[in-house]
Amino acid sequence: MEEIYSVFAQEAREQLTAMEDGLLRMEQGDQDAETLNAIFRAAHTIKGASGVVEIHHVEKFTHILENLLDKLRNGEMQVSSDMITALLQGCDHIGALLDRVDQGYMDEDPAVAAAGEATAATLRAFTGGAATAEQAGMVEASVGTVERAGGDTAISDCWHISIRFGRDVLRMGMEPLAFLRYLLNLGEIVHLTTLSDAMPLAEDMDPEACYLGFEITLRSHATKEQIENVFAFCRDECDLYILPPNSKVGDYLNLIEHLPEENMRLGEILVKSGAITQEELDQGLRRQKAAAKIAEATEQPTPQLGDILVDKKMVQPEIVEAAAARQKQVQEKKTAEARLIRVQADKLDQLIDLVGELVIAGASANLLAQKSGQGSLVEATSVLSRLVENIRDSALQLRMVQIGETFNRFNRVVRDTSRELGKDIDLVISGAETELDKSVVEKIGDPLMHLVRNAMDHGIEPAEVREAKGKPVKGRLELNAYHDSGSIVIEVVDDGGGLKADKIQAKAIEKGIIQPGQTLSEQEIVNLIFEAGFSTMEKVSNLSGRGVGMDVVKRNIQALRGTVDVKTEVDVGSRFIIRLPLTLAIIDGFLTSVGDASYVIPLDSVVECLALQDDATRGHMLNLRGEVLPFIRLREFFDVEGAPPQRENVVVISAGGQKAGIVVDQLLGEFQTVIKPLGNLFKHLRGIGGSTILGSGEVALILDVQALTQLAGQAEERRASPPQRIGAAMLSERE
Amino acid sequence: MSNLVKAQNGAVTAAKSTGGGDTHQYLTFTLGGEMFAVGILNVKEIIEYGNLTEIPMMPAFIRGVINLRGAVVPVVDLAARFGGKISAVQRRTCIVIVEVTQEDARHDIGIMVDAVSEVLEIPARDIEPPPAFGAKIRADFIAGMGKVDGKFVIILEIQRVLSVDEMALLANVNQASPSDPEAIAA
Repeated sequence: MEEIYSVFAQEAREQLTAMEDGLLRMEQGDQDAETLNAIFRAAHTIKGASGVVEIHHVEKFTHILENLLDKLRNGEMQVSSDMITALLQGCDHIGALLDRVDQGYMDEDPAVAAAGEATAATLRAFTGGAATAEQAGMVEASVGTVERAGGDTAISDCWHISIRFGRDVLRMGMEPLAFLRYLLNLGEIVHLTTLSDAMPLAEDMDPEACYLGFEITLRSHATKEQIENVFAFCRDECDLYILPPNSKVGDYLNLIEHLPEENMRLGEILVKSGAITQEELDQGLRRQKAAAKIAEATEQPTPQLGDILVDKKMVQPEIVEAAAARQKQVQEKKTAEARLIRVQADKLDQLIDLVGELVIAGASANLLAQKSGQGSLVEATSVLSRLVENIRDSALQLRMVQIGETFNRFNRVVRDTSRELGKDIDLVISGAETELDKSVVEKIGDPLMHLVRNAMDHGIEPAEVREAKGKPVKGRLELNAYHDSGSIVIEVVDDGGGLKADKIQAKAIEKGIIQPGQTLSEQEIVNLIFEAGFSTMEKVSNLSGRGVGMDVVKRNIQALRGTVDVKTEVDVGSRFIIRLPLTLAIIDGFLTSVGDASYVIPLDSVVECLALQDDATRGHMLNLRGEVLPFIRLREFFDVEGAPPQRENVVVISAGGQKAGIVVDQLLGEFQTVIKPLGNLFKHLRGIGGSTILGSGEVALILDVQALTQLAGQAEERRASPPQRIGAAMLSERE
Repeated sequence: MSNLVKAQNGAVTAAKSTGGGDTHQYLTFTLGGEMFAVGILNVKEIIEYGNLTEIPMMPAFIRGVINLRGAVVPVVDLAARFGGKISAVQRRTCIVIVEVTQEDARHDIGIMVDAVSEVLEIPARDIEPPPAFGAKIRADFIAGMGKVDGKFVIILEIQRVLSVDEMALLANVNQASPSDPEAIAA
């Protein structure tokens, strides 16, 4: 049962996102009927689904929302900005209700309910106003009502199946009952009416012929195709009509006309089975037929089919159009479903874990094969390892999701926040199709939210200030994503006032983060905003400026093995650059060793390798084709025991835009590295990004080269104050 | 906050090991000539010492990590953790894999001991509360003093001894750098 609710909540959330997207687009002036239809469909799906899982308060609330949307869709009302705000609030409320469902409560939270009541009242106010208008309009515009006949949706959430078995079915050795039994495999038969109207008088009856027909109401999650397949064997022998759940009343009426039995009788069956209500049937018939005859119609036993056929000509185009549209919709949905499979995330994680083990085992087999020196064995294992590599890549690909979904959430955030702040801000998104690991995507939302809000609150100036500065009045906020050498870069760019170094410095001194006499470069000062307890805005708003800002952002990003930087220019704007690893599970590494220990350097950051020539070095720098390259002796830095070998090697790495060398004993070559986190005990450890298990079963450490160069710089700095070595001073300058 | 959680955890284990009047089983081992015990329920397995990978820039009591069937498990030198010297590897040196629970997360941690002795049953009535001082290790590391054959065995409060938060903080101080505000806060 639990699972049903979580699936419901998840699917409903997706629909909510679709609704929100559509509403925002409408607000921006999208007049497309399809947009409105999409919003309506989403609301309707939520309503239907909540009815199925019997969470009635969600159903009730969505119904109110749907009413308003229906009015909009029928052109009875015009969209207004206030209305969209109310609808968005409605979405939020549904979201809150879903949160509650996620927590495992089926009842309504009283606090949320009160808020919902207010929202519902606002929504009803819109519908109420329109209802009177509608009544007035009804008299004049009968065209409008015809349209509604097709547009109205019957409340039934069940499939309706009409089947008339052919005369020869029994003769061909098929039994209708068997089909019905089989139908039970797909779902629950809510209502079934046997039609024996075709049965002739006893003397004319052929005992071997089948005269039966059935009207079935089926509650099922099966697709139309699946239901059709139930009757596949007798398909040619019988008349089969299937109506999907929530079909339009018009479709039911259409069905009634197509079936050979008397219309009223069928109508009654439909009413009895709960597919449509009596009122809907009456209304439908009234609309299709000439007016005013309803009372007699229910009593009149046999309204002539011809009558309706005449009317049909009038109504048909609309119904056909609606039906065709629905058919197309169902088809589109079906193909979309076929392309996507919903898989539980932990199953995927398990697969990735297994692939990780496979990679390790493969490496160990490779090692043994090479030791054995058998050519054919080496060849076989190398083929194997290539395949494993492919499997690894595709497995990791499974977890990749586009960042667009995360970005799109900010449309709403920017809209709401800019209203709250009274600023006019445009959000420009680029690189939405950039893919990154799902686990990263999940965790990047909060830091991004903080940065976006900060940029809007503190970054972008109020309109009058912008005007005075000669900038466009409308603020601009950009969210960019792109791949850059094995990592993904996400940027939050604003064209606001930028960060003022002197202000930051003053604040930092006031807060005791730095000492008054300390000389810092401009970049270092700007980076102070990432320190704990730092907030420059004098005025504390409810958006940001509570002093729990940037340091949390930085820590969250660091927890993902990422970095955050800021580039800023006064009066031009700021650019926050987040750099994240593509995946948290497996990387291509470069294996090196120092003494007995092995270290893996992420291959993406490796530029080249060379032998260390003592005469080319000076302090901790070397001359790389005329370029000054600072380097770190891992042996010294990690206090590895033992004397260095005769020949040492330098791995040239590039991290965060700067190059550095790492001096190791031996280069062991490329290595597929399955990252094993080191656990909480080592959470403060910098310079080491994780660990991996080598083919030999030994644990090797993965270097976090960027943190390592920073650490080295800091260590030198501490030692170098007062400066003792030229190299140290130069290094700290580079930092 | 985290202290509070720790205290609660400690209380739970203490109640488990001393409460009731039932008899609990303890794994005893020696460390620097002294006898210690941990509740057997915390112990997952005992393995031979070896194949250890050292982690640089960590305090001495964290010896390194081992590969335990595909999982990377840290190994703590208990003697060094108690403030003594780093233990030398001997013929009978073992790693006892212990499971500790911290803030709802379970961690496997290896502890390095000089030799594993036996599994003992110690009835609750034979367990004395820890002395305020004199045991040479921090009082909050001791769950109780078990009487076995007229001698005292120190029953360790293993959740406290292997408190991941505390050890991580110590490790951080070791690597303290001015850019990390937490080191200063701690």
